[in-house]
Amino acid sequence: MEYANLRRQAASLKRSLFDQGYLDEQFCQVEDLQDEASPNFAEEVVSLFFKDSARLVANIEQAMEKYPGDFNRWDAHMQQLKGSCFSIGASKMSNECTSFRNSCAEENAEGCRRSFQKVKREHAILRQKLESYFQLLRQAGPARTATRSGGK
Amino acid sequence: MLLDAMMMEPMKGLMGRERERDQFPVGMRVLAVDDDRVCLKVLEGLLRRCQYHVTTTNQAITALKLLRENKDMFDLVISDVHMPDMDGFKLLELVGLEMDLPVIMLSVNGETKTVLKGITHGACDYLLKPVRIEELRNVWQHVVRRKFSNRETNNLDFSKEYSKHPTTDSYHGLSQVASGSSDQGGSRASKKRKEPQSEEEDEGDDNDNDAQDNDEPSGSKKPRVVWSVELHRKFVAAVNHLGIDKAVPKRILELMNVEKLTRENVASHLQKYRLYLRRLSVVASHQASIAAVFGGRDPFLHMGAFEGLPSYQPFASSAGIPSFNPHGLLSGVGTAAFGLKDLAPSKAIQCASSNGAVSHCIGDTNKFHIANLQENQQANLAQGLTAPLGQPQLQQKWIHQETSDLSSFFSGSALANTMSGTLQRVTSSSLPPVELLECTQIKVGAHSSIRIPPASSGLLERSVGLSPNLQDSSISQQCAIPIDDRFSVNKLPLHIPFVDVSTTKLDASFVAPEQDMDQKEKFPERVTVLPSESLIAADRSKCGTRSSGSTMLLLSDTERHSKYLKFGVASNSRHGIDEMVNGSFNYNGGASVPEQNDVYDFGNSKLQGGFNSSSCNFDGLLNSIIKVENDDMPFADNDLGCELFPLGACI
Repeated sequence: MEYANLRRQAASLKRSLFDQGYLDEQFCQVEDLQDEASPNFAEEVVSLFFKDSARLVANIEQAMEKYPGDFNRWDAHMQQLKGSCFSIGASKMSNECTSFRNSCAEENAEGCRRSFQKVKREHAILRQKLESYFQLLRQAGPARTATRSGGK
Repeated sequence: MLLDAMMMEPMKGLMGRERERDQFPVGMRVLAVDDDRVCLKVLEGLLRRCQYHVTTTNQAITALKLLRENKDMFDLVISDVHMPDMDGFKLLELVGLEMDLPVIMLSVNGETKTVLKGITHGACDYLLKPVRIEELRNVWQHVVRRKFSNRETNNLDFSKEYSKHPTTDSYHGLSQVASGSSDQGGSRASKKRKEPQSEEEDEGDDNDNDAQDNDEPSGSKKPRVVWSVELHRKFVAAVNHLGIDKAVPKRILELMNVEKLTRENVASHLQKYRLYLRRLSVVASHQASIAAVFGGRDPFLHMGAFEGLPSYQPFASSAGIPSFNPHGLLSGVGTAAFGLKDLAPSKAIQCASSNGAVSHCIGDTNKFHIANLQENQQANLAQGLTAPLGQPQLQQKWIHQETSDLSSFFSGSALANTMSGTLQRVTSSSLPPVELLECTQIKVGAHSSIRIPPASSGLLERSVGLSPNLQDSSISQQCAIPIDDRFSVNKLPLHIPFVDVSTTKLDASFVAPEQDMDQKEKFPERVTVLPSESLIAADRSKCGTRSSGSTMLLLSDTERHSKYLKFGVASNSRHGIDEMVNGSFNYNGGASVPEQNDVYDFGNSKLQGGFNSSSCNFDGLLNSIIKVENDDMPFADNDLGCELFPLGACI
């Protein structure tokens, strides 16, 4: 069936995201929380994540421009973003966040900038991938957004 | 599950609460605060999955408002540390002070100093993001513990006033009900926070309350005395007028001249207040040491690791760091240090006991307090002991717990207090002179501002009596390991009870802290403190460290740590070893030393007379730890963590 096919695709996309390290175990936990009461929990969380993270990324960018050298401030912003990444299991992105924070600790502005670029990039990639993923799921079937399908 | 949750909704309110209580922890009402909406949402999902009743807000101010409006609306608060509108720690303090609710901190930041800060501010637990559901499943313990501790405090208060022997039935009952850990937690909680004991305990007859409390884990809802700002101000004024050392509830009550306030209310509030003060004074010093010790890792973890450490078996101690790490930490640390491979990780009960005892002692020279603690400790220890010795998973959790526990543990001054107390105790105890010496040294060594309250001296006296008992557990002697500055685990000889004051990861601390040798210096002396007997015995044990009670404070913070160490050493040593051996620390609070002499031996085997050798084989320990860590700490039990904290908490 078409639905089954779509579900399979979604599953394999998810698997690849895990294999490539974009997502980690935490994401599974989030998906696990989906149930009858909140059938679209995972998707809601993820879209909330991207909304918030986009804002946070912009904040950081702004802070870096407006307050050059204020590593504490940069770090504080990044910590927020990192928290979100952790919560949904965005592991590559959170790694970049960590390296950004490390650069802040070393007061390495150039390092920060580089890390920040990576953060932005990972953010964009992840967003795109997760959007495809959820789209597949949506198409695959309304009822059970197949958290379990595709062999977790 | 869903159905239950749905059922819970309409049940809110007293009646609902009653019902929920029956099904506790299902339906426990949690308030979650986090400015990060994503985290908050995920957290909410997780909590609901645990069948708790969740309310969320992403503003601390709103949370505070909600809590103030109706104090009975929630059982537990979970809050992020970094929030824009109000610092999480501040919220934590306010909630603790005004509402006496258990608060759990959340953060991506697991640095020792932050965790420590959480503890010193009164957090029951400190979780790292991303939070896992397993951790949340257990948070209801904090609610129970608090209730129990409140009750205990009540008892203690009474005891204090009447010098009653603490072994009240209720107390025991509590222990039983709470299966030890609760007690520990409770005591710890109560000690940790100087929240107004309010209601339950204060109401009427303590014993009655206790009895009642024992029956229902969730605690019946007795009218609480709300310590409003105004009331507290009067209280503080009265205390200052009388002098903090001379302030007795009766006089305070008279001075305050408030209707409907009972002496019990004042007594419990006083206890908390004392703890709070202590915490304030020692926080700074401890922080450093703790940080050092823990090095950002759960010390206990290391402890557990120790278990597996072939070389280092300092403390069969408190391997299992109960979630109460904070308290347990101390003890746990010691125990952990023991790394009882073979020994059941005796929970740091020793420490804990000591801690608890100390705390009490500090405020209260009643021995029985210690004894009480002991009891708790024992319970806990037993529990801790049972904890699987080397279970990786447990470890994992344990680490987390430890971390959090540590946080709580450190909440502060409690630890310090305990330490001081222990130290005091140790010194005073008639422990082998050598030990005493050591202990004393520790005291001296402790840079930390652990102020040994006058009460401590009382403790000392008591300990004197105890010492004979403690003999076996030379460990107790050990306590005096002054962990000053960055007491690096390395420095600490294995003997030293591993007091993992610094909650953070043990491994880190262990490895990391390179304590100055000054500590070591102190330490070695201290080490010797350990009852020679025990130490020697310990030597035999694999553990290099003397597990007996000596909880090594791997605290990097010397001062603080030293305090802790001392503390842990004193009290725990004895028990620690025993515990370890038996896996149950019976911290006999000095007075009644558990007859685990043999245990001690057992422990000794584990411990390798670490203490005996003044040289802190901390390095060895550390290495062991590191090694263990690498191997996956077998010892996940939080035993270690036991009571150390409570002591502080008690304060």
